[in-house]
Order: sequence, then structure tokens, then C-alpha cells
Amino acid sequence: MTARPAYLFLLPALFLYGAFVVLPILQVTAYSFFSWDNGIAQGFVGFANYARLGSDTVFWAALSHNAIWVVLTLAFPLMAGLLLAAILAERGPRTIQIMSAIYFLPRTIPLVVAGIIWGWIYNPLFGLLNYGLDMLGLGNLGGAWLAEESTALVSLNVVGAWTFFGFCVVIYLGAIQSIDPSLYEAAEVDGAPWWRKFRDITVPLLRNSTLFLGLYAAIEAMRFFDLVWVTTQGGPGYATEVLTTHVYKTFFLVGDFGYAAVLSVVLLVIVLSLSAIAFRLLRAK
Amino acid sequence: MTRFTKHSQTIILVIFALYALAPVYLVLLASMRSEADLFNGPLSLPWPINTSNYLRVWSDSGFSTFFWNSLKISVAVTVLVLLTAPLAGYAFAKMQFRGREALFALFLAGLVVPAPSVIVALYGNLQTLGLIDTHIGVILPQAALLMPFAVFMMRTVMQDVPDELIEAATMDGAGPLYGFLTVVVPLARPGLMSLTLIVFLFSWQEYLLPLVVLQTETLKTITVGAASLQGRYGVDYGGIAAAGLIAFAPLVVLFLTMQRSFVRGLSAGAVK
Repeated sequence: MTARPAYLFLLPALFLYGAFVVLPILQVTAYSFFSWDNGIAQGFVGFANYARLGSDTVFWAALSHNAIWVVLTLAFPLMAGLLLAAILAERGPRTIQIMSAIYFLPRTIPLVVAGIIWGWIYNPLFGLLNYGLDMLGLGNLGGAWLAEESTALVSLNVVGAWTFFGFCVVIYLGAIQSIDPSLYEAAEVDGAPWWRKFRDITVPLLRNSTLFLGLYAAIEAMRFFDLVWVTTQGGPGYATEVLTTHVYKTFFLVGDFGYAAVLSVVLLVIVLSLSAIAFRLLRAK
Repeated sequence: MTRFTKHSQTIILVIFALYALAPVYLVLLASMRSEADLFNGPLSLPWPINTSNYLRVWSDSGFSTFFWNSLKISVAVTVLVLLTAPLAGYAFAKMQFRGREALFALFLAGLVVPAPSVIVALYGNLQTLGLIDTHIGVILPQAALLMPFAVFMMRTVMQDVPDELIEAATMDGAGPLYGFLTVVVPLARPGLMSLTLIVFLFSWQEYLLPLVVLQTETLKTITVGAASLQGRYGVDYGGIAAAGLIAFAPLVVLFLTMQRSFVRGLSAGAVK
């Protein structure tokens, strides 16, 4: 068979992808090496724009928030997904279907809307969280969740987790169902309690899924924008600033083309490296 | 398993079900609550059920326009992806040509590219093309950003089409496109269904592109509309709740009716 039909089949997808993704990536990379004035390139400046990264405290704060986001995501929704999947796997098919649909439901809600809903739950004056704490007699634990530097990022992560843990449940469930049941039967004969089977059979055999979800979470943690922008816009102060919001502000609010391009390139290098690592690790299995 | 273990596990399942559902449920209640009813507390059932929040948001705040704009953009993006990604996925799965590995790697790299990382150049390009403040200016980049996922997923789907059937079609002297449409597409229907749902979902959820590309109020999408409503009426919680529900109701309905397709699509690419 000649190769011509193959290229024709590829052409439409490649054209669209090339024109609106690949080309802008190349342009952004080029932009980062120029000095800019009012959106017009002035001259090649080498790595001068990159040198500004070192003293940009907002950049380092943003990067650390992205990193914290990864850790929080691994610690909460991922672990919750693992536990829930392991519990659910032993229930009837009907329960599995209904519960996984319930857990997965928040994922279908646009992050913008999730941000609005939770922004309201967290509202210090008439928010439901403080109201609920009051009801339980724990009113003194209430706070201005998204408006305090100390709680804003963690509170936002609870929203992110809300949209993510169901996905983890679904992925883990798929993997658990392919584990050889005789392993569990053997452990049962030995009288092993549930948590021992969980620790010694389920968790180790789901390593690939954990690796996949962990890398997925890490990449998503670098990519997310909507949730922060619609709730805190990076504030209070820079408490929830992430790389994407820093790019947005540097470009659209400050109009600093060269440095916005530098930040974009840093963001791209990080996500592309993470995905390269992901493909290498997952293919090696 | 002891009964104690089993019951405590059930409690864990229920707690997380509440975590997933409670915010949605509370928004539903708030959206049906009248202002007079507001002081009975957020957990009380709204009575009488009140649709004025929906009517107000739908007609006065422009949500009918936002809704149709979102629908138009999402359908256009979905159609565009459906017309392009299956062909490319098929080429990668079943055809031999030079540069196959390199081109596929190029698509794979795009899987993780976030919209904010290209917006600095994309925005200028759209300006040059005269596409700022047009729906096309949202549709084209959005389809492009979803393309790597779509091509990757379609390649996986097309790999499962048996070679013998494709060979049989080409033996009859059919051209590759004819064979693709008559043999491959019918066999790949479940995969195409998943792709349709996922692309529609992602497109409907998109926020950054419509936020920066669309400026005219009557062109905006529902995500942008919902976000700006939040700022405009700081305390109109009934209205905001109704707007939020209008913004995600179509997705929830789609998800609940076609759960299988959704989950299969979203977990495509996950390791077995």
C-alpha cells in the first residue's frame, strides 16, 4: 500500500493541531528570547528574560503551590480512591455501579461551577461550612476559608479532590477487577484480616494504577487554572498563585510579553518532562 | 470479614457519597428557594418551590444566550474533532508510512499542553486572523487542544478493528476512505460514541479560551457567564445557584444516561 492515503488521513488533524498548538508553542519559545515593547518585539536578548525568574518571588511561590497541590492530591483523593475502590470491589455489581456513578458525578461539573459552588460553601458569613460547624457546636473552628492565607490553598484542594477522587475510584476499580481472586481466597484461608489483604495484595498489585494516577495528578496540578481563577484569582496575596495564573496575569494584566513567554516555556518544560517520565515508566511495565 | 469491618466500610462509602453529592444537593435547594425562605437555613426544604431564580437568570441575566452559545461551540468542536481525529487515529493504528513514530510522538506531546501555556502566542495569532471576539476563534483552538487526546484514543480504538476485515474491503477494490467509512467506522461505533461525549464535556467545561477570546456579552459561553454572575450579584445566591445548575445540568444528564461510554472514554489511556 502506498503511503499517500495515510498522509491524507492525517492531514486535517495535523493541520489543526499544528496551526493552533504546535505553532504557538514554537512562537512562545521564540518570544521568550526577545525584549518587547507594547506587544512589538524589540530585539534578541538571549536568556535575559529567563534571568528574571531567579528574583521573581511570585514565580517561586506559584511553583511551590503547584508542588503542594501535587502532594495534597496524592495524599487525599488518590488514597481515598484506592480505599473506596478496594471496599467497593467486594460489593454487588449494582452497588458498584451506583456508587461509582455518584463518586464520579462531580467530575462532570465544570471547574468554574465547582469553584462557584464551593466558594459559596466556604463563604465566611453565610457559607454552609461555617453554618454546619455552628450547628455542631464547633463554631470557633469556622473561618474565612478562601480569604485566609493559611487555609486558602488547602481549601481549594478539597474542591479539586471533590472533582478527582471519583476518577481514581473508577481507574482503581478497573484494575482491582483484574486481580486474580485466588490470591484473596488464599489469604482468607490463612485468616488474614481485611486490612492485611488490602495492604499485602491490593496495594502492591495496583502499583501501575497508582503510578498512572500519580503522574496524571502531577500533570493536572501544573495545568489547572479555572478553579483558582474563579475563586481566589491567586489570592489572598499570592497564597493560591499557581504557574497558570501567573502567566495569565503577566500577559493580560501586566502586558509583559517577554516574561509571560518565559513563564509559558517553564510551564511547558515541566508538563512535557512529566509526561515523558510518565510514558517511560508506564511503557516499561 | 467481621460485621464490624463491613459496617465501618459502609460508613466510609456513605461519607464519600455525601462529599460527592451534598454540594450539588445544597445548590439545588438554594436554586429553588425564594428570598423570603432564605432565613429558614440552608438545609430546610424550600417551600413553596420557587422557579423565579431560574426565570430571572435565564431571561434577565442572558443565560439563555450563554447556553446556546455554549451549545453551538461545543457541538462545533465535537463535529470538528469527529471529522479529523478518527482518520488520524486510523492512520496511526493501521497504515504504514514514513515518519509515523515521529508524528505520533508529536501528537502525544500535545496531550499535556495546557491552554495557558500557549495563550501568549495564540492570542496574537487570533488577532492577526481577525478571530478575536468570534466563536470560530474559540472553536478552532479548542478542537486543536483536544486533538492529541482524541487521536490517541482513536488509535487505541482502531487497533481493535480486525485486519482481515480491512483487507477484505480493500480486496474488493474499495478506496481507503470508502473502506474506512463502510467497515471501520461501524465497528468503532462505541469508541466514537465515547469520543463524542468526552469532547462535548471538555468543550462545555472550557473556561480560559472563551474568557479571553470573547468580549461581546451576547457571544459569551455559560462558564464565563456563570463566573461573571458571581461577581455581579455578590449576594444573589438563588440566582448563582440556578446559573450553576443550568451550566452543568446538560453534562449531568448526559453522564447519567451514558455512564458506560463516559467512563470508558475518560479512562482511555489508563494502564490496565
